[in-house]
Amino acid sequence: MVVVAAFAGGFAVGGWVIGLDRIVTARFEGPRFRVPSRVFSAPAILYPGLDWRLVGLRGTLKRLGYREAKGSRELPPGQYVWGAGRVRVHLRAFEHPSRPEPARDVVLRVRGDLIEEIRALPSGRELGAVLLEPEQLGAYYGVDHEQRELVTLEDVPRHLVDAVLAVEDQRFESHSGIDFKRIGGAALANLRAGSIRQGGSTLTQQLVKNFFLTPERTLWRKSQEAVMALIVELRYAKPAILQAYFNEIYLGQRGAAAVHGVGEAARLYFGKGVHDLSVAESALIAAIIQSPNGISPYRDPERALARRNLVIDLMRAQRRIGDAAHARAQAEPLRVAPVTPDPGNARYFLDLVRRRLPEVYDQELLSSEGLHIYSTLDRRLQRLAAASLREGLAGLEERFPQLRTDDPARSLQGCLIAMRPQTGELLAMVGGRDYGVSQFDRCTQARRQVGSVFKPFVYIAALEPAGDAPTITLADFLDDSPLEVDTPSGPWRPQNYDGEFHGSVPVREALERSLNVATARLAQEVGVARVAGVARRLGVESYLPLVPSLALGSADVSPLEIARAYATLASGGIRPETQVIEDLVDVDGQTLERRRLRFERVLDPATSFLATSLLAGVADHGTAARVRSTGLRGPIAAKTGTTDEERDLWFVGFTPELVAVVWIGFDDPRSMGIPSSVGALPIWRRFVEQVTGGDVRGQFLTPPGVERVEIDPATGALALDGCPERRVEYFLAGTLPSAVCPSERVADEGEGRSRATRRDFFDWLRKRL
Amino acid sequence: MTRRRRLLVTALGLALTLGCAVRGPGGALRTSPLRISEMADEGDVTRRASTRLVLSGLVSDAQGSSSLALSQYERAIQIDPPNAFAYLALARHYADRSDPERTLEYLAQAELLLESQGVSFPRVEPHLSGLRGSALHTAGRPDEAELLLDHARALAPSVWGDGRLSPEELR
Repeated sequence: MVVVAAFAGGFAVGGWVIGLDRIVTARFEGPRFRVPSRVFSAPAILYPGLDWRLVGLRGTLKRLGYREAKGSRELPPGQYVWGAGRVRVHLRAFEHPSRPEPARDVVLRVRGDLIEEIRALPSGRELGAVLLEPEQLGAYYGVDHEQRELVTLEDVPRHLVDAVLAVEDQRFESHSGIDFKRIGGAALANLRAGSIRQGGSTLTQQLVKNFFLTPERTLWRKSQEAVMALIVELRYAKPAILQAYFNEIYLGQRGAAAVHGVGEAARLYFGKGVHDLSVAESALIAAIIQSPNGISPYRDPERALARRNLVIDLMRAQRRIGDAAHARAQAEPLRVAPVTPDPGNARYFLDLVRRRLPEVYDQELLSSEGLHIYSTLDRRLQRLAAASLREGLAGLEERFPQLRTDDPARSLQGCLIAMRPQTGELLAMVGGRDYGVSQFDRCTQARRQVGSVFKPFVYIAALEPAGDAPTITLADFLDDSPLEVDTPSGPWRPQNYDGEFHGSVPVREALERSLNVATARLAQEVGVARVAGVARRLGVESYLPLVPSLALGSADVSPLEIARAYATLASGGIRPETQVIEDLVDVDGQTLERRRLRFERVLDPATSFLATSLLAGVADHGTAARVRSTGLRGPIAAKTGTTDEERDLWFVGFTPELVAVVWIGFDDPRSMGIPSSVGALPIWRRFVEQVTGGDVRGQFLTPPGVERVEIDPATGALALDGCPERRVEYFLAGTLPSAVCPSERVADEGEGRSRATRRDFFDWLRKRL
Repeated sequence: MTRRRRLLVTALGLALTLGCAVRGPGGALRTSPLRISEMADEGDVTRRASTRLVLSGLVSDAQGSSSLALSQYERAIQIDPPNAFAYLALARHYADRSDPERTLEYLAQAELLLESQGVSFPRVEPHLSGLRGSALHTAGRPDEAELLLDHARALAPSVWGDGRLSPEELR
């Protein structure tokens, strides 16, 4: 009976052990870790002539985890010295399969706010430009919210191994999974304390507990842990166990994400790769294993420092470091990387990146495969965009009580997009006020009535030659008198914002004042279908109803579409494809996807220039003139848009190098009682002012095929000598006005162009040449 | 501008044009085709930094470091989006890799920017014509391609004689 019972018991235990063995091998030999994929910004570039203050060089270095050193001759990678007229930075290497950047020690000579020159040290060779490594914007987590950077044992410096072993498992190299001596010591200590104060777990047991078991402290769980630890030690070599441990161990929190592994911990606490850790830094990581949140250097620096020093002492006591290294490490102050705010303001962009990836990169893959996604986002512009929108909306609520709500889920919302027009790269995107409250992205997922920002498409349709001539030139006049158009739903009678009609108005004035009636009449003349066709060509993809009110922006369109359409104008009629990803690299360093810039010429550069010139007038003298009110200088083309009952406020503006769109409104559309120039424009202006420092670079260049002449603003006729008023105007080649000013010469000599007038014309032409 | 000064400027312009251009046997105006290094000191600091990156990219391309070259061209655009030479170098890069679609896309962007920036067109024309011809040849449109390549050869036989624009020739 006893034999049978023993046999049965042995059989049961054997089965249990075999079961545990299967669990262990399945985990160790399958994919061990889920590694969230990370998204990075575009790298910042430093070059001579750059305004280091404007680009926030010091802040960028700090965010990247660079540490300020004091005049050290030997400057390790990741440190900088900020001196008078001179900044020395030892740039870290940037690992990328196809475009790696070496670590290099450089010195930037600065005068005032400008970088004068960049030289490599010690050679002194002048460098044209240097790149800072991209900043991490965020990661795609699984349900466990674990963040980790996988490391191999070769990546881990010996002193980190020593530090961890010294404090967590000094006999790791000799025990077989369970350290009975340590268990005995811990039991004695706990007995003395009268409660469980000290654990006797080896690294292998800790690994097993984290991998397979719950943290409960029961005898059953402890026996499972012990057996599994023995199985792990029997089956796998010590280095493999150590490597698994270094990747699995929990080491703190980054916002909502749990930081696992020494690779990620090195990034979190020191902003650097694990291979760059010093002895003292390694000791700190080892120190916090016991209680990552309790001994956090952020939460309790004194406690963290005391335990770090204990680890350093243990390392010397166990002869893992010598006296000199011990003294150096003890003397090192506790320095950790600044806590970078949770990149919530880039989360809308992260969502967009995920949606733009090919379908094969699903949520499961992104949260487990550790891909590196290099994006187009400019971290500086993104920060400025987020701050401009956040502060702009808060300011509006303060000024206008009707915009306030108590419910954050129903509060005033907004979106800001910035795009590089020549390439379509998204540089910044803030899809809402607070991602934590609402993940709905108003830049790309919302379709809102577009209002007057649609009007330029009407003018482009009219300026573009159809057949042999365009419908209008910029010297023409439009009729802003009452209009009635029959539609299936009854007569449509557009009104102007001021409720008045303005008679015959110059084309420029009609757009600068955003006159609805004149624009609606023009759309009737060119045809709504042609207007819609222009919008489509420029990049609007949403449904555009072919109704008369389309001319005034009755269609619902996303801000991203508007950004792209205006980018087409800014780049001279070449439509870029929207880009958010530069490339995508897998955990083994293979490039899986590489962006492809795509362009298509959709508008003649001359017509595009005329439209840009009109919009520059809107910014200089029209409804967008407030854009200049704080001194913003340089070429700007812009358009305001305020929809019916002020439910949507838009502002779109571009410079030769940047397009930015601001939309504000309520998710549940309701009147805001203010126009775009009061609501959306100041947010745009604040953003662009901060991006450019108040001076917009470049100019809107006149392409071939455009003639620049002076006209009489009162009549649109060519201005000759003697014409009392004149202003510069642009025309497509071959479309100059036939009438001249002073007009009495024409009147004197009858209809058409007289000989005298022709002579005047050629005189004028000679002067112009 | 005074009449005398205007005359002087015109004469200088003519001299430069004649210095760079002679009529070839086919009647086409032979030019000394533009090298981007000539533009290294043109423009503001940003343009100069960007052009230097383009030149570094051409060196990388010549050394066979294609990815690095691409990255350098793209960084040149990052800091100075309207720098036509970055697009021209990209067009050349893709022409070398027999990718006609990208070559033509970058060429269109380069051409527009060059036109609006008033870069001396005759000196860039052989490159624009030759690269377009090269792309069309790869795209299977030999008749159009030959016309354009012939034009490039006639304008700049020393560069386009072999039907290809090397990184060094553009640099």
